[in-house]
This record gives sequence, C-alpha cells and structure tokens, in this order.
Amino acid sequence: MSLLNRVQMICSLMAVLVLVGTVMAGCATGQGDSANTITLWHGMTDTGKETFEQLAAQFEEKHPDFKVNVVYIAQQGEGRNEKLLAAIAGGNPPDVAFFDRFEVGSWANQGSLTDLTAMVEESDLDLEGYYPFAVEEASYKGKLYALPMGTDARMLFYNKDHFREAGIDSPPKTIAELEAAAEKLTIKKGKRFERIGFIPWLGQGWTYTWGWSFGGDFYDKDKEKVTIESEVVQSLEWMRDYAKKYNIEDVTAFTDSTGSAASDPFLTGQISMIVDVNAKISVINKYKPDLNYDVAPIPTPTGNDFTTWSGGWSLIMPKGAKNQEAAWEFMKFVAGEEGQKNYSKNTYNLSAIDSINQELYEEDPIMKQFVDLLPSSNHRPVISEGTLLWNELNKARDLAVRGKGDPRQLMQKVSNKVNKELEQ
Amino acid sequence: MKSEKVITKPVDSRVSIKKTKWRTSHVYGWLFASPWVIGMLLFFAFPLLSSIYFSFTSYSIINPGEFVGLQNYRDLMNDSLFWTAIYNTVYFTVFFVPLSIFCGVSLALFLNMKVKGMAIYRTIFFLPTLVPHVAMAVLWVWLLNPQFGLVNGMLAAVGMDGPAWLGSETWSKPSLILMSLWGIGQAVVIYLAGLHDISQDYYDAAEVDGANSVQKIGHITLPLLTPVIFFNLVMGVIGAFQQFTLPYTMTKGQGTPGNSLVFYVMHIYDNGFKFFKMGYASAMAWILFVVIMALTTLIFVTSKRWVHYQGN
Repeated sequence: MSLLNRVQMICSLMAVLVLVGTVMAGCATGQGDSANTITLWHGMTDTGKETFEQLAAQFEEKHPDFKVNVVYIAQQGEGRNEKLLAAIAGGNPPDVAFFDRFEVGSWANQGSLTDLTAMVEESDLDLEGYYPFAVEEASYKGKLYALPMGTDARMLFYNKDHFREAGIDSPPKTIAELEAAAEKLTIKKGKRFERIGFIPWLGQGWTYTWGWSFGGDFYDKDKEKVTIESEVVQSLEWMRDYAKKYNIEDVTAFTDSTGSAASDPFLTGQISMIVDVNAKISVINKYKPDLNYDVAPIPTPTGNDFTTWSGGWSLIMPKGAKNQEAAWEFMKFVAGEEGQKNYSKNTYNLSAIDSINQELYEEDPIMKQFVDLLPSSNHRPVISEGTLLWNELNKARDLAVRGKGDPRQLMQKVSNKVNKELEQ
Repeated sequence: MKSEKVITKPVDSRVSIKKTKWRTSHVYGWLFASPWVIGMLLFFAFPLLSSIYFSFTSYSIINPGEFVGLQNYRDLMNDSLFWTAIYNTVYFTVFFVPLSIFCGVSLALFLNMKVKGMAIYRTIFFLPTLVPHVAMAVLWVWLLNPQFGLVNGMLAAVGMDGPAWLGSETWSKPSLILMSLWGIGQAVVIYLAGLHDISQDYYDAAEVDGANSVQKIGHITLPLLTPVIFFNLVMGVIGAFQQFTLPYTMTKGQGTPGNSLVFYVMHIYDNGFKFFKMGYASAMAWILFVVIMALTTLIFVTSKRWVHYQGN
C-alpha cells in the first residue's frame, strides 16, 4: 500500500470516528446541564399544559436565577412511562416529572424515585393540609416519594330530564333501586339500544369502584398481601348477571358506538346514568352546559355507607435528577398552596389540598358534592405491584362480564398471581 | 510496477497486484460500512445477546436484578395469559397468512391486466399501506362500528344483521384479519414484480398449444410465481407473529373483549414496560424467536418441493 493510500485511509478512519463520536455525544447530552435549569416533564395538553407553563413563569419571577424548562411528553401517565423509565435507567432523567400518584409505590420499590422525606422535614412545607389518602398514596414503606397534586372522585351522574320522563323522583340509593331505575329508563329496539339506563362497567365502573361500594376490600395491610374479600366477588357476580340480562354483545355494540367529548353518551342522552369522575363536569360545561343533570353517591347494596375512591397526580423527582435543590424548590411551589390553587382553578380540577377545594368550589353545587366525599375517600393499595393488580382486576371484570369464568375463581387467580409477584 | 518483472514472473505479479488491490478495496469497503457495522453491533447485536442473559434474571430496566436460572421460563408455563396470547397469535397467523397470499396473488393478477389507467388502480391498492397503523386502527374502529359503521350498514342494506365485530369474542380476531388484509399493497407490489419477471415465451407457447387463461394461470403463472410467494410467506409469518400495533391501539392495551385480542408481543410489552419484568419479557421474546426460527426453517425445508425457479 502506497503512502498516499495510507494517508487516505487514516483520513477516512478519522472521519468515521468523528462521525461516530458526534452521534455518541449527541446521545449523551439529553437535558440542559446548566445547574440553574430545571427540566419538568408532563403529559398534559390544553389548559393543563398552559398552566404548567404559567407556573414555570411565575416561579422564574420569584427566583430570577432559575430557569424552568417545561417539556411535554406524549407518553406520560399510568402504564405509559416508557420514556421516563428509559431516562432514569440511562442516568439522564428530568429534574421533576408530573406523575400518576398511583404508580409511586411500584416505582419507589424499584428505587427509581428520590426519597423526599428529609427535604420535607427541613422545609416549611406542611403536609397537614393535604388529604390523608393522597399523602398515603405518595408514600411507600413510610417514606415520602412524591408531592400530591390534584385528585378526583367517582359519583353517579344522572340525567334529571330522563328521570322525570320515567317518573323517578330521586336518584337510586340501593343496588336494587339502581336496577329498577335502569330498567325503566332503557329503550331497546331489537338488538339496538335507543337509550340505556345504566351500564355498571362503563365510565369509572372499575372492579375497585364496585368492590368498595359493595363493602369489600382488596388488600390486607398487616399481612402485606392481596386478599380479595367476598363482597368484591359479589359485585362481580352482580355485574355478570347484569351483563346476562342486557346481553353483553348488544351492550358492547352500544358502548363501541358511543363517542367521547361532545358525543359522550351521557351528553347526547344515550345513557341516563353513569359512574364517572369529576372531570366529566368540565366536559359537560364545555359541550352541553344546559344539560339537566345532578350527581349522587354510587349506590350500595344497603343504601348507606356510601363510598368513593380517588386517584390523582403528583410531582416526583426521578432518581439521578441533576439539580435536586432547585428541583425541590420548584416542586414545593407547584404542589404547594399557590401552585395547586392556580392549577385547580384553570383546569377545573380538584386539588389535593382540602382548603383550596373548600375555597374554590363552595358555590359550585355539583363540584361541592365531590369535595364533601373526599375526606373519607379510598385509594388504591400502595404496593410494588399496583399496576399489575389494576390490570388483572380489570381483565377479571371483563372476563366475568362476558361469562368466561366464575367470579370467585377469577378473583382467586388475581390474588394468587399478584401475591406471587409481591413475594419476589 | 516495471514491465520486466511482468515478463519474468507473470503469474505471481498479477496475483500480487490483484491481492493489494483487493486488500485496499476491501479495507475501504469495510471503512465505508463501518458506521453501520458499529451501529449494528452496538444497537442490535449487543442488546440481542444481552437479552439472552436477561432472560435468566429478574432484570427490571432500573435494577439489574438477580440470576434466577430457568425461573422465568418455568413461570411462563404456568402463566395462563401466556397461553391465551399464543393461541390468539397462532390463530391470527394461520388465517391471515394464507388469506393474504390468496388475496395478494389475486389482486396482483388483476392489476397485471393490460387495461387503460392501470397505474391509477395500482396506486389505489397501494395507498392503504401508507396509512400509519394507529390511524388505520382508528379508521377501522369506525368502519366496523356495530351500530352505525359502514360495514354493518352495507350488510343491513342487503338484509343481514351484522355482528358486533370488535365487541364480540368470536368476531374480534376475524375483524383484525380483515383490517390487516387492507394493508396488503406492499406484498402486491412484490407479486407484480414477480409477474413481470415471467417471460412472455411461456405464454406464447401455451397459446400455440391452445391453453385457456385458467390453464395459463395454473400451469405457468402460479408455478413461476412460487419464489415470490415463498418470500411473502416467510415475511408474512414473521410479521403475523409480531402483531402488535393494531390490537394494542384498538383495545388501549387491554386486549379486550375477554382477552381475545391479547397477542404475544403485547404480553411481552406489558411485562417489560409496565410491570418491571424485563427478564420475564426477554424470556418470552426468546421463545418467540425460537418458534419463528423453527417455522421459517420448516418453510425453507419444504420449499424445495413447491418452489420452482425459472430456468430449472
């Protein structure tokens, strides 16, 4: 090989190395590394997104030496955190992330979240004002890993016009009343539902919703085990019988044909009653403000001991966040009184702080009913396998409603499967 | 190089010239390919081989986990959803692949006719493949809507009561097969290329022998199209076993109704990215790899009997 060739070769080799080098370097600088930039990841669109940007601007005004970089991540929320997962595993996470509170348990168990307990103790942040269930959900094994932000609750929405038409005076309190009302309200022609009174598994009618309403529970805190009580099985049996009575395929044909937002079946009058979260109110206000409706607690077999459950969001600091101190300042501001108040006011959402809700929704007849339920609300068990349990419970509900398996056995399978994972 | 040398040692020198030439061009070739080679090694070979190791551990993406030996594989055998996923995946493959070959070849034969404006028809059949899977899922959910979807609307027009399609356990997988057939354009283009490859001489000879068009298709077109069918069969099986986007989008990752749309890769994905069980998911992925490899081998072995190459 001549010298010239050799030179050429070395040159091209260098070029290749430079090329590969730049690609690698490009991968390594994901976040702004300046010590004063705080990166926030969130998955909110619309008003939620705007509010986060506003809050960031307000924070920058208060702390002129900090800069907040608000990044919208399309995939962020329950069971959709691949990007955050990869960022934490790669040692390159954002400083703060808006995170589904319900997953704090399983993520903390993986060691992927920063423990905030000491920071809270040293700061002026008072957790007394937050709902107990929200703080519990943000903690794992006695340590705090998230600051609760926003919450929700589930109630029965019912269409007052339909009720008057059908001659029903008051919302159902017991399961029997609920079934009777549903039957009166349903209009079926052949296989088609012109209108359906109620579908237990639609909207927010999860296994958790009915299990708790029937008086059952899912998890034994002392034994640290999933123990699904017989009342939960009863609620599944009730849904199974309901599905049989109305013919599941016809009901599915109906639900598959319904839309969301403006064409939501409750707004279009295709369904008279539905269990749903308070977010439904903003949908109604936006698309059908003149809808004549009200809410009532979810019916129970006895007609008293009403219950609901709440989820909600939180702010977390991923493991390996670069600017912990700055991140903590920002978290305190956003999830603190001022930030939450702005966020709730703009998005018409419930806050995780009771006093804010009292102040914002005192005069709001429907929202007020949700606020009144919150202090005694349930939350999903905070365990390392929360997502698995949620998925398994919903799959079991789907199978039960379709008559594929006996509810008791289905529930037995769920608890066996999840407990096996909990032991590992 | 000096000319005397060429005279004295003609053979050697030519070899040496060739050798040096070959060596340098070889090195250059590798150099030019090196970004991709490095990329393949880093982003393909390394993860691929790592996942073998991970399948014997309780790796969770965040934590390295512990070495658990064959535990993941043992757990899989007792995981009822794993078997459901296998059943659904095999069901889909068994029906979809032959159907796609049948429809693809038939379409290609139609699109090979010498009619005015054929380019437009070809474009029309190819267009659906350009639609992203997620958009396609949304579109089909509307088309197959039991109460006001176009499909049931047309059935109602001829007095038939359409099924609940995606809402029915019986019909959910057939619905999915129907949707997937919509994206057949890619295969059709390959079949068309195969059809163009068949020499006109065969048809002329058949014409002289008095063959009709059915006989021409049966005795000339199909046998000579077998290499292309073979290619599409292998790719089709590999693709069908990895069915993911459509069912995942349509059922929001749940595989409803009644687990009838839980596919193998969906189960892998849930375990790997939702339940922190990447080790378990890796074990599943390797089982899938072995199954697809075995099937492909089987198709290759039998291909000697039914694939005819021109000129043999």
